Amino acid sequence: MTNVLNVAGLHAGYGAGDILKGIDVALEKGRIVTMIGPNGSGKSTFIKTLAGLLPARQGTIELEGERLNDLSAPKRVRAGVSYVPQEYNVFRNLTVLENLKIAREFMGVNGSGPGLAEELFPDLRSHYKKQAGNLSGGQRQMLAFACALAVRPRVLMLDEPSAGLSPILMSAVFDKVKQVNAMGVSILMVEQNAREALRISDTCIVLAGGRVRSCGPAEVVLGLDLKNLYLGADAL
Amino acid sequence: MQTLFNGIITGVIMTLPALAVTLLFGVLKFPNFAVGAMMTVAAYLAFALNAQLGWPLVVAAGVAALAMGFACIAIDQVTFKPLRERGAITLMVASLGLGFILENIARFAYGNAARGFVVELARPFRFADVRMNHEQMTTIAVASVAMAAMYVLLTRLPMGRAMRAVADNPALALVRGIESPRVIRWTWFIAGMLLAVGGVLIGMDRALEPPMGSNYLISVFAAAILGGLGSPLGAFVGALVIGVVSELSTLVVAPNYRIGVPLVAIAVILVFRPQGLFGQPYIRR
Repeated sequence: MTNVLNVAGLHAGYGAGDILKGIDVALEKGRIVTMIGPNGSGKSTFIKTLAGLLPARQGTIELEGERLNDLSAPKRVRAGVSYVPQEYNVFRNLTVLENLKIAREFMGVNGSGPGLAEELFPDLRSHYKKQAGNLSGGQRQMLAFACALAVRPRVLMLDEPSAGLSPILMSAVFDKVKQVNAMGVSILMVEQNAREALRISDTCIVLAGGRVRSCGPAEVVLGLDLKNLYLGADAL
Repeated sequence: MQTLFNGIITGVIMTLPALAVTLLFGVLKFPNFAVGAMMTVAAYLAFALNAQLGWPLVVAAGVAALAMGFACIAIDQVTFKPLRERGAITLMVASLGLGFILENIARFAYGNAARGFVVELARPFRFADVRMNHEQMTTIAVASVAMAAMYVLLTRLPMGRAMRAVADNPALALVRGIESPRVIRWTWFIAGMLLAVGGVLIGMDRALEPPMGSNYLISVFAAAILGGLGSPLGAFVGALVIGVVSELSTLVVAPNYRIGVPLVAIAVILVFRPQGLFGQPYIRR
Protein backbone atom coordinates (compact mmCIF):
# COMPACT_ATOMS: atom_id res chain seq x y z
CA MET A 1 0.00 0.00 0.00
CA THR A 2 1.30 3.51 -0.80
CA ASN A 3 1.95 6.14 1.81
CA VAL A 4 -0.10 9.33 1.73
CA LEU A 5 2.05 11.12 4.30
CA ASN A 6 5.75 10.66 4.93
CA VAL A 7 7.57 12.34 7.79
CA ALA A 8 11.32 11.86 8.13
CA GLY A 9 13.72 13.12 10.81
CA LEU A 10 11.31 15.80 12.06
CA HIS A 11 12.56 18.25 14.68
CA ALA A 12 10.31 21.01 16.05
CA GLY A 13 9.60 22.86 19.25
CA TYR A 14 9.09 26.12 21.07
CA GLY A 15 11.88 28.44 22.18
CA ALA A 16 15.43 27.12 22.31
CA GLY A 17 14.87 23.39 22.80
CA ASP A 18 13.37 20.77 20.49
CA ILE A 19 10.26 18.91 21.62
CA LEU A 20 10.27 16.60 18.61
CA LYS A 21 13.70 15.00 18.28
CA GLY A 22 13.76 13.22 14.95
CA ILE A 23 10.35 11.69 14.20
CA ASP A 24 9.94 9.22 11.35
CA VAL A 25 6.34 8.35 10.55
CA ALA A 26 4.50 7.06 7.48
CA LEU A 27 0.73 7.12 7.06
CA GLU A 28 -0.59 4.51 4.65
CA LYS A 29 -3.35 5.63 2.30
CA GLY A 30 -6.84 4.91 3.62
CA ARG A 31 -5.69 3.93 7.10
CA ILE A 32 -6.43 5.26 10.59
CA VAL A 33 -3.24 5.85 12.55
CA THR A 34 -3.48 6.77 16.22
CA MET A 35 -0.61 8.38 18.05
CA ILE A 36 -0.55 7.81 21.80
CA GLY A 37 1.91 8.66 24.53
CA PRO A 38 2.23 10.21 27.98
CA ASN A 39 1.58 13.91 28.60
CA GLY A 40 4.39 16.07 27.22
CA SER A 41 5.57 13.45 24.77
CA GLY A 42 5.09 15.84 21.83
CA LYS A 43 1.90 14.47 20.27
CA SER A 44 0.17 17.85 19.85
CA THR A 45 3.45 19.50 18.79
CA PHE A 46 3.80 16.85 16.09
CA ILE A 47 0.33 17.38 14.70
CA LYS A 48 0.68 21.20 14.85
CA THR A 49 3.96 20.97 12.95
CA LEU A 50 2.30 18.89 10.25
CA ALA A 51 -0.54 21.45 10.06
CA GLY A 52 1.98 24.27 9.57
CA LEU A 53 1.29 26.07 12.85
CA LEU A 54 4.85 25.37 14.01
CA PRO A 55 7.88 25.38 11.71
CA ALA A 56 9.83 22.18 11.17
CA ARG A 57 13.42 22.88 12.25
CA GLN A 58 14.80 19.78 10.57
CA GLY A 59 13.41 16.90 8.56
CA THR A 60 10.86 16.61 5.78
CA ILE A 61 7.08 16.37 5.55
CA GLU A 62 5.71 15.00 2.27
CA LEU A 63 2.14 14.56 1.10
CA GLU A 64 2.09 11.97 -1.69
CA GLY A 65 5.54 13.08 -2.78
CA GLU A 66 4.84 16.84 -2.49
CA ARG A 67 7.11 18.56 0.05
CA LEU A 68 5.02 20.53 2.56
CA ASN A 69 7.80 22.11 4.67
CA ASP A 70 7.78 25.44 2.90
CA LEU A 71 4.00 25.75 2.61
CA SER A 72 2.07 27.99 5.02
CA ALA A 73 -0.76 26.48 7.05
CA PRO A 74 -3.48 27.75 4.64
CA LYS A 75 -1.57 26.32 1.65
CA ARG A 76 -1.24 22.93 3.39
CA VAL A 77 -5.01 22.93 3.88
CA ARG A 78 -5.51 23.54 0.19
CA ALA A 79 -2.99 20.80 -0.58
CA GLY A 80 -5.30 18.39 1.24
CA VAL A 81 -4.19 18.28 4.89
CA SER A 82 -7.09 19.14 7.16
CA TYR A 83 -6.69 19.63 10.91
CA VAL A 84 -9.15 19.71 13.80
CA PRO A 85 -7.54 21.29 16.89
CA GLN A 86 -8.24 19.92 20.35
CA GLU A 87 -10.06 22.98 21.70
CA TYR A 88 -11.22 26.32 20.31
CA ASN A 89 -11.88 24.43 17.11
CA VAL A 90 -14.81 26.54 15.87
CA PHE A 91 -15.23 30.31 15.46
CA ARG A 92 -17.34 30.90 18.55
CA ASN A 93 -18.70 34.31 17.55
CA LEU A 94 -19.81 33.17 14.11
CA THR A 95 -22.89 31.13 13.36
CA VAL A 96 -22.74 27.45 12.44
CA LEU A 97 -23.52 28.32 8.82
CA GLU A 98 -20.81 31.00 8.73
CA ASN A 99 -18.28 28.49 10.09
CA LEU A 100 -19.17 26.10 7.30
CA LYS A 101 -19.14 28.84 4.66
CA ILE A 102 -15.65 29.96 5.71
CA ALA A 103 -14.40 26.40 5.42
CA ARG A 104 -15.87 26.05 1.93
CA GLU A 105 -14.71 29.48 0.77
CA PHE A 106 -11.12 29.36 1.97
CA MET A 107 -10.06 25.73 2.26
CA GLY A 108 -10.36 25.30 -1.51
CA VAL A 109 -11.15 22.20 -3.49
CA ASN A 110 -8.26 19.84 -3.95
CA GLY A 111 -9.74 18.06 -6.91
CA SER A 112 -11.16 15.06 -5.07
CA GLY A 113 -14.86 15.87 -5.40
CA PRO A 114 -17.39 17.68 -3.27
CA GLY A 115 -17.18 18.14 0.50
CA LEU A 116 -18.35 15.57 2.99
CA ALA A 117 -19.85 17.88 5.61
CA GLU A 118 -23.50 17.82 4.53
CA GLU A 119 -23.36 14.09 3.86
CA LEU A 120 -22.01 13.21 7.29
CA PHE A 121 -23.54 15.84 9.53
CA PRO A 122 -27.14 16.46 8.43
CA ASP A 123 -28.12 17.39 12.02
CA LEU A 124 -26.10 20.59 11.81
CA ARG A 125 -28.70 22.06 9.44
CA SER A 126 -31.11 22.68 12.32
CA HIS A 127 -28.44 24.77 14.10
CA TYR A 128 -27.29 26.87 11.13
CA LYS A 129 -28.34 30.20 12.69
CA LYS A 130 -26.99 29.41 16.17
CA GLN A 131 -23.72 30.98 17.33
CA ALA A 132 -21.09 28.24 17.39
CA GLY A 133 -20.08 29.27 20.91
CA ASN A 134 -23.56 28.33 22.13
CA LEU A 135 -23.37 24.73 20.89
CA SER A 136 -22.87 21.82 23.29
CA GLY A 137 -19.46 20.15 23.43
CA GLY A 138 -20.55 17.29 21.18
CA GLN A 139 -22.23 19.57 18.65
CA ARG A 140 -19.15 21.79 18.58
CA GLN A 141 -16.92 18.79 17.88
CA MET A 142 -19.22 17.71 15.04
CA LEU A 143 -19.12 21.23 13.58
CA ALA A 144 -15.33 21.24 13.78
CA PHE A 145 -15.31 17.89 11.92
CA ALA A 146 -17.74 19.18 9.34
CA CYS A 147 -15.59 22.26 8.70
CA ALA A 148 -12.45 20.17 8.33
CA LEU A 149 -14.31 18.01 5.81
CA ALA A 150 -15.98 20.86 3.94
CA VAL A 151 -13.57 20.02 1.17
CA ARG A 152 -12.55 16.40 0.79
CA PRO A 153 -9.08 16.23 2.40
CA ARG A 154 -6.46 13.64 1.62
CA VAL A 155 -5.41 13.48 5.28
CA LEU A 156 -7.55 14.43 8.27
CA MET A 157 -5.60 15.14 11.47
CA LEU A 158 -7.49 15.09 14.75
CA ASP A 159 -6.04 16.37 18.01
CA GLU A 160 -7.79 14.63 20.91
CA PRO A 161 -11.24 14.48 19.27
CA SER A 162 -12.86 12.93 22.36
CA ALA A 163 -11.43 15.39 24.92
CA GLY A 164 -14.05 16.60 27.38
CA LEU A 165 -16.86 14.48 25.90
CA SER A 166 -19.15 12.04 27.70
CA PRO A 167 -18.67 8.31 26.90
CA ILE A 168 -21.75 8.34 24.63
CA LEU A 169 -20.56 11.36 22.68
CA MET A 170 -17.04 9.92 22.57
CA SER A 171 -18.36 6.82 20.90
CA ALA A 172 -20.39 8.96 18.45
CA VAL A 173 -17.23 10.87 17.55
CA PHE A 174 -15.25 7.69 16.92
CA ASP A 175 -18.15 6.37 14.79
CA LYS A 176 -17.85 9.50 12.64
CA VAL A 177 -14.10 9.02 12.37
CA LYS A 178 -14.72 5.51 11.09
CA GLN A 179 -17.34 6.76 8.59
CA VAL A 180 -15.01 9.47 7.28
CA ASN A 181 -12.26 6.91 6.86
CA ALA A 182 -14.63 4.57 5.01
CA MET A 183 -15.10 7.38 2.46
CA GLY A 184 -11.41 7.19 1.60
CA VAL A 185 -9.89 9.81 3.88
CA SER A 186 -6.67 8.81 5.63
CA ILE A 187 -6.72 9.75 9.31
CA LEU A 188 -3.99 10.65 11.78
CA MET A 189 -5.33 10.98 15.30
CA VAL A 190 -3.71 11.99 18.57
CA GLU A 191 -5.66 10.65 21.52
CA GLN A 192 -5.46 10.31 25.30
CA ASN A 193 -8.35 7.84 25.41
CA ALA A 194 -6.00 5.34 23.86
CA ARG A 195 -8.08 2.17 24.14
CA GLU A 196 -11.21 3.72 22.60
CA ALA A 197 -9.19 5.20 19.75
CA LEU A 198 -7.20 2.03 19.08
CA ARG A 199 -10.40 0.00 18.67
CA ILE A 200 -11.10 1.85 15.38
CA SER A 201 -7.46 2.24 14.31
CA ASP A 202 -5.24 0.22 11.99
CA THR A 203 -1.87 1.36 13.30
CA CYS A 204 -0.59 2.72 16.60
CA ILE A 205 2.42 4.96 17.09
CA VAL A 206 3.75 5.40 20.63
CA LEU A 207 5.53 8.68 21.21
CA ALA A 208 7.68 9.31 24.29
CA GLY A 209 10.18 12.10 24.93
CA GLY A 210 9.77 13.51 21.43
CA ARG A 211 10.74 10.24 19.75
CA VAL A 212 8.82 7.31 18.30
CA ARG A 213 9.10 4.56 20.92
CA SER A 214 7.06 1.92 19.10
CA CYS A 215 4.94 1.46 16.03
CA GLY A 216 2.72 -1.46 15.15
CA PRO A 217 -0.78 -2.82 14.54
CA ALA A 218 -3.41 -1.26 16.81
CA GLU A 219 -4.93 -4.64 17.72
CA VAL A 220 -1.58 -5.80 19.13
CA VAL A 221 -1.20 -2.64 21.24
CA LEU A 222 -4.70 -3.18 22.66
CA GLY A 223 -3.43 -6.40 24.26
CA LEU A 224 -0.48 -4.71 25.97
CA ASP A 225 -0.06 -2.72 29.17
CA LEU A 226 0.14 0.89 27.94
CA LYS A 227 2.16 1.98 30.98
CA ASN A 228 4.88 -0.50 30.11
CA LEU A 229 4.70 0.55 26.49
CA TYR A 230 5.15 4.23 27.41
CA LEU A 231 8.07 3.39 29.70
CA GLY A 232 9.70 1.16 27.15
CA ALA A 233 9.35 -2.08 29.11
CA ASP A 234 7.18 -3.53 26.32
CA ALA A 235 7.87 -3.06 22.65
CA LEU A 236 5.98 -3.85 19.46
CA MET B 1 -34.45 68.51 21.15
CA GLN B 2 -31.74 70.55 19.44
CA THR B 3 -29.15 69.29 21.94
CA LEU B 4 -30.30 65.72 21.39
CA PHE B 5 -30.03 66.15 17.62
CA ASN B 6 -26.54 67.65 17.94
CA GLY B 7 -25.59 64.68 20.12
CA ILE B 8 -26.84 62.25 17.49
CA ILE B 9 -24.74 64.05 14.85
CA THR B 10 -21.65 63.89 17.11
CA GLY B 11 -22.35 60.19 17.64
CA VAL B 12 -22.87 59.53 13.94
CA ILE B 13 -19.56 61.24 13.14
CA MET B 14 -17.83 58.94 15.65
CA THR B 15 -19.38 55.72 14.33
CA LEU B 16 -16.91 55.43 11.45
CA PRO B 17 -13.65 55.93 13.42
CA ALA B 18 -15.07 53.79 16.26
CA LEU B 19 -15.73 51.05 13.74
CA ALA B 20 -12.17 51.41 12.42
CA VAL B 21 -10.79 51.13 15.97
CA THR B 22 -12.85 48.05 16.70
CA LEU B 23 -11.95 46.37 13.38
CA LEU B 24 -8.23 46.99 13.90
CA PHE B 25 -8.40 45.83 17.50
CA GLY B 26 -10.38 42.73 16.54
CA VAL B 27 -7.96 41.58 13.86
CA LEU B 28 -4.62 42.93 15.14
CA LYS B 29 -5.31 42.86 18.90
CA PHE B 30 -3.92 46.25 19.80
CA PRO B 31 -5.45 49.69 20.41
CA ASN B 32 -4.30 51.96 17.58
CA PHE B 33 -3.92 55.45 19.02
CA ALA B 34 -2.85 56.83 15.65
CA VAL B 35 -6.45 56.81 14.38
CA GLY B 36 -6.96 60.45 15.36
CA ALA B 37 -3.94 61.64 13.38
CA MET B 38 -4.88 59.35 10.47
CA MET B 39 -8.26 61.12 10.31
CA THR B 40 -6.47 64.48 10.37
CA VAL B 41 -4.09 63.60 7.53
CA ALA B 42 -6.93 62.24 5.39
CA ALA B 43 -9.04 65.34 6.05
CA TYR B 44 -6.16 67.60 4.97
CA LEU B 45 -5.67 65.51 1.84
CA ALA B 46 -9.34 65.99 0.98
CA PHE B 47 -8.89 69.71 1.78
CA ALA B 48 -5.96 69.91 -0.66
CA LEU B 49 -8.01 68.35 -3.44
CA ASN B 50 -11.14 70.32 -2.61
CA ALA B 51 -9.95 73.79 -1.61
CA GLN B 52 -6.64 73.94 -3.46
CA LEU B 53 -7.39 71.99 -6.66
CA GLY B 54 -11.05 72.91 -6.80
CA TRP B 55 -12.48 69.39 -6.84
CA PRO B 56 -16.01 68.85 -5.50
CA LEU B 57 -15.84 67.70 -1.86
CA VAL B 58 -17.51 64.35 -2.55
CA VAL B 59 -14.86 63.46 -5.17
CA ALA B 60 -12.04 64.80 -2.99
CA ALA B 61 -13.31 62.76 -0.04
CA GLY B 62 -13.57 59.62 -2.16
CA VAL B 63 -10.01 59.97 -3.47
CA ALA B 64 -8.73 60.79 0.02
CA ALA B 65 -10.47 57.67 1.37
CA LEU B 66 -8.84 55.44 -1.26
CA ALA B 67 -5.46 57.08 -0.71
CA MET B 68 -5.75 56.67 3.06
CA GLY B 69 -6.69 53.02 2.59
CA PHE B 70 -3.50 52.37 0.62
CA ALA B 71 -1.47 54.59 2.97
CA CYS B 72 -2.64 52.53 5.94
CA ILE B 73 -1.44 49.32 4.23
CA ALA B 74 1.95 50.97 3.67
CA ILE B 75 2.07 52.30 7.25
CA ASP B 76 1.35 48.80 8.54
CA GLN B 77 4.14 47.28 6.45
CA VAL B 78 6.67 49.85 7.66
CA THR B 79 5.56 50.46 11.25
CA PHE B 80 3.47 47.66 12.71
CA LYS B 81 4.35 44.51 10.75
CA PRO B 82 7.97 44.38 11.98
CA LEU B 83 6.68 44.68 15.57
CA ARG B 84 3.75 42.25 15.27
CA GLU B 85 5.38 39.46 17.32
CA ARG B 86 6.30 41.81 20.18
CA GLY B 87 2.81 42.14 21.62
CA ALA B 88 0.04 44.66 22.05
CA ILE B 89 1.89 47.11 24.33
CA THR B 90 4.74 47.59 21.82
CA LEU B 91 2.26 48.11 18.98
CA MET B 92 0.24 50.56 21.08
CA VAL B 93 3.35 52.62 21.89
CA ALA B 94 4.33 52.57 18.21
CA SER B 95 0.86 53.87 17.33
CA LEU B 96 1.29 56.75 19.79
CA GLY B 97 4.56 57.71 18.10
CA LEU B 98 3.04 57.32 14.65
CA GLY B 99 0.11 59.56 15.63
CA PHE B 100 2.54 62.22 16.83
CA ILE B 101 4.45 62.10 13.53
CA LEU B 102 1.32 62.18 11.32
CA GLU B 103 -0.27 65.06 13.20
CA ASN B 104 2.91 67.10 12.90
CA ILE B 105 3.19 66.37 9.19
CA ALA B 106 -0.25 68.00 8.85
CA ARG B 107 0.88 70.89 11.07
CA PHE B 108 4.08 71.30 9.06
CA ALA B 109 2.17 71.39 5.77
CA TYR B 110 -0.77 73.58 6.75
CA GLY B 111 0.11 75.33 10.02
CA ASN B 112 -2.09 75.67 13.08
CA ALA B 113 -4.73 77.96 11.58
CA ALA B 114 -8.23 76.53 11.26
CA ARG B 115 -9.38 75.90 7.72
CA GLY B 116 -12.58 74.76 6.09
CA PHE B 117 -13.74 72.81 3.05
CA VAL B 118 -15.17 74.69 0.12
CA VAL B 119 -18.85 73.80 0.14
CA GLU B 120 -21.85 75.67 -1.16
CA LEU B 121 -23.59 77.65 1.51
CA ALA B 122 -27.18 76.66 2.02
CA ARG B 123 -29.84 77.85 4.40
CA PRO B 124 -30.47 75.42 7.29
CA PHE B 125 -33.97 74.03 7.55
CA ARG B 126 -36.14 73.35 10.55
CA PHE B 127 -38.09 70.27 11.47
CA ALA B 128 -40.09 70.14 14.73
CA ASP B 129 -38.09 73.02 16.22
CA VAL B 130 -34.79 71.33 15.37
CA ARG B 131 -32.41 73.26 13.14
CA MET B 132 -30.51 71.05 10.69
CA ASN B 133 -27.92 72.17 8.20
CA HIS B 134 -26.95 70.46 4.98
CA GLU B 135 -23.60 69.27 6.34
CA GLN B 136 -25.41 67.46 9.15
CA MET B 137 -27.78 65.77 6.73
CA THR B 138 -24.81 64.79 4.55
CA THR B 139 -23.10 63.39 7.64
CA ILE B 140 -26.11 61.20 8.48
CA ALA B 141 -26.43 60.00 4.87
CA VAL B 142 -22.73 59.23 4.40
CA ALA B 143 -22.37 57.48 7.77
CA SER B 144 -25.54 55.44 7.13
CA VAL B 145 -24.29 54.29 3.73
CA ALA B 146 -20.86 53.45 5.19
CA MET B 147 -22.39 51.49 8.06
CA ALA B 148 -24.70 49.59 5.69
CA ALA B 149 -21.72 48.79 3.46
CA MET B 150 -19.77 47.56 6.50
CA TYR B 151 -22.72 45.40 7.57
CA VAL B 152 -22.88 43.80 4.13
CA LEU B 153 -19.10 43.31 4.06
CA LEU B 154 -18.89 41.72 7.50
CA THR B 155 -21.91 39.45 7.25
CA ARG B 156 -22.39 38.68 3.56
CA LEU B 157 -18.98 38.70 1.90
CA PRO B 158 -16.19 36.11 2.28
CA MET B 159 -13.54 38.73 3.18
CA GLY B 160 -15.75 40.19 5.92
CA ARG B 161 -16.38 36.73 7.35
CA ALA B 162 -12.63 36.08 7.17
CA MET B 163 -11.95 39.29 9.10
CA ARG B 164 -14.38 38.21 11.82
CA ALA B 165 -12.84 34.72 11.85
CA VAL B 166 -9.30 36.09 12.29
CA ALA B 167 -10.60 38.37 15.08
CA ASP B 168 -12.25 35.37 16.74
CA ASN B 169 -9.42 32.82 16.56
CA PRO B 170 -6.29 33.62 14.48
CA ALA B 171 -4.72 30.14 14.75
CA LEU B 172 -7.93 28.37 13.71
CA ALA B 173 -8.30 30.84 10.82
CA LEU B 174 -4.94 29.63 9.45
CA VAL B 175 -5.99 25.98 9.42
CA ARG B 176 -9.30 26.93 7.82
CA GLY B 177 -7.29 28.22 4.85
CA ILE B 178 -7.50 31.93 5.62
CA GLU B 179 -4.35 33.84 4.61
CA SER B 180 -3.96 36.21 7.58
CA PRO B 181 -1.61 38.68 5.83
CA ARG B 182 -4.23 39.27 3.14
CA VAL B 183 -6.95 39.74 5.75
CA ILE B 184 -4.73 42.19 7.64
CA ARG B 185 -4.11 44.22 4.49
CA TRP B 186 -7.86 44.41 3.79
CA THR B 187 -8.54 45.40 7.39
CA TRP B 188 -6.08 48.29 7.17
CA PHE B 189 -7.49 49.37 3.82
CA ILE B 190 -11.07 49.43 5.10
CA ALA B 191 -10.06 51.07 8.40
CA GLY B 192 -8.13 53.72 6.43
CA MET B 193 -11.17 54.47 4.29
CA LEU B 194 -13.45 54.69 7.34
CA LEU B 195 -10.98 57.01 9.09
CA ALA B 196 -10.69 59.22 6.02
CA VAL B 197 -14.46 59.59 5.70
CA GLY B 198 -14.66 60.20 9.46
CA GLY B 199 -11.97 62.90 9.16
CA VAL B 200 -13.85 64.66 6.37
CA LEU B 201 -17.09 64.52 8.39
CA ILE B 202 -15.32 66.08 11.39
CA GLY B 203 -13.89 68.77 9.10
CA MET B 204 -17.39 69.51 7.81
CA ASP B 205 -18.84 69.66 11.33
CA ARG B 206 -16.07 71.72 12.93
CA ALA B 207 -12.92 73.01 11.22
CA LEU B 208 -9.71 71.56 9.86
CA GLU B 209 -6.83 71.92 12.30
CA PRO B 210 -3.99 69.56 13.25
CA PRO B 211 -5.49 68.28 16.55
CA MET B 212 -8.96 67.75 15.01
CA GLY B 213 -8.62 63.96 15.02
CA SER B 214 -6.88 63.68 18.37
CA ASN B 215 -9.68 65.72 19.96
CA TYR B 216 -12.02 62.86 19.14
CA LEU B 217 -9.66 60.12 20.23
CA ILE B 218 -10.97 59.61 23.77
CA SER B 219 -14.60 59.72 22.63
CA VAL B 220 -13.92 57.27 19.81
CA PHE B 221 -12.19 54.81 22.14
CA ALA B 222 -14.96 55.26 24.72
CA ALA B 223 -17.49 54.41 22.01
CA ALA B 224 -15.55 51.32 20.92
CA ILE B 225 -15.03 50.16 24.52
CA LEU B 226 -18.67 50.80 25.46
CA GLY B 227 -19.85 48.79 22.48
CA GLY B 228 -17.26 46.08 23.09
CA LEU B 229 -13.87 46.20 21.34
CA GLY B 230 -14.06 43.94 18.33
CA SER B 231 -17.81 44.30 17.89
CA PRO B 232 -18.86 46.38 14.85
CA LEU B 233 -22.47 46.65 16.05
CA GLY B 234 -21.14 47.71 19.45
CA ALA B 235 -19.05 50.48 17.87
CA PHE B 236 -22.14 51.90 16.20
CA VAL B 237 -24.30 51.82 19.36
CA GLY B 238 -21.41 53.00 21.57
CA ALA B 239 -20.71 56.00 19.33
CA LEU B 240 -24.35 57.11 19.36
CA VAL B 241 -24.60 56.72 23.16
CA ILE B 242 -21.34 58.59 23.85
CA GLY B 243 -22.26 61.35 21.36
CA VAL B 244 -25.74 61.89 22.79
CA VAL B 245 -24.68 61.68 26.46
CA SER B 246 -21.72 64.04 25.88
CA GLU B 247 -23.98 66.59 24.25
CA LEU B 248 -26.77 66.24 26.84
CA SER B 249 -24.20 66.64 29.63
CA THR B 250 -23.78 70.27 28.56
CA LEU B 251 -27.27 70.91 29.94
CA VAL B 252 -26.02 70.21 33.48
CA VAL B 253 -22.25 70.86 33.40
CA ALA B 254 -20.13 73.49 31.70
CA PRO B 255 -19.28 72.54 28.06
CA ASN B 256 -15.57 72.53 28.98
CA TYR B 257 -16.18 69.46 31.10
CA ARG B 258 -17.87 67.54 28.29
CA ILE B 259 -14.64 65.62 27.66
CA GLY B 260 -15.13 64.09 31.11
CA VAL B 261 -18.14 62.10 29.90
CA PRO B 262 -16.25 59.59 27.74
CA LEU B 263 -13.55 59.27 30.41
CA VAL B 264 -16.18 58.46 33.06
CA ALA B 265 -17.84 56.09 30.59
CA ILE B 266 -14.54 54.23 30.01
CA ALA B 267 -13.95 53.92 33.77
CA VAL B 268 -17.50 52.70 34.50
CA ILE B 269 -17.49 50.19 31.62
CA LEU B 270 -14.09 48.76 32.52
CA VAL B 271 -15.17 48.28 36.16
CA PHE B 272 -18.65 46.84 35.63
CA ARG B 273 -18.67 45.28 32.15
CA PRO B 274 -15.16 45.14 30.70
CA GLN B 275 -16.32 43.33 27.55
CA GLY B 276 -18.70 46.23 26.73
CA LEU B 277 -22.31 45.97 25.61
CA PHE B 278 -21.79 43.57 22.69
CA GLY B 279 -18.29 42.20 23.24
CA GLN B 280 -17.34 38.70 24.31
CA PRO B 281 -15.73 38.16 27.75
CA TYR B 282 -11.97 37.85 27.35
CA ILE B 283 -10.63 34.39 28.05
CA ARG B 284 -6.88 33.94 28.46
CA ARG B 285 -5.71 30.92 26.46
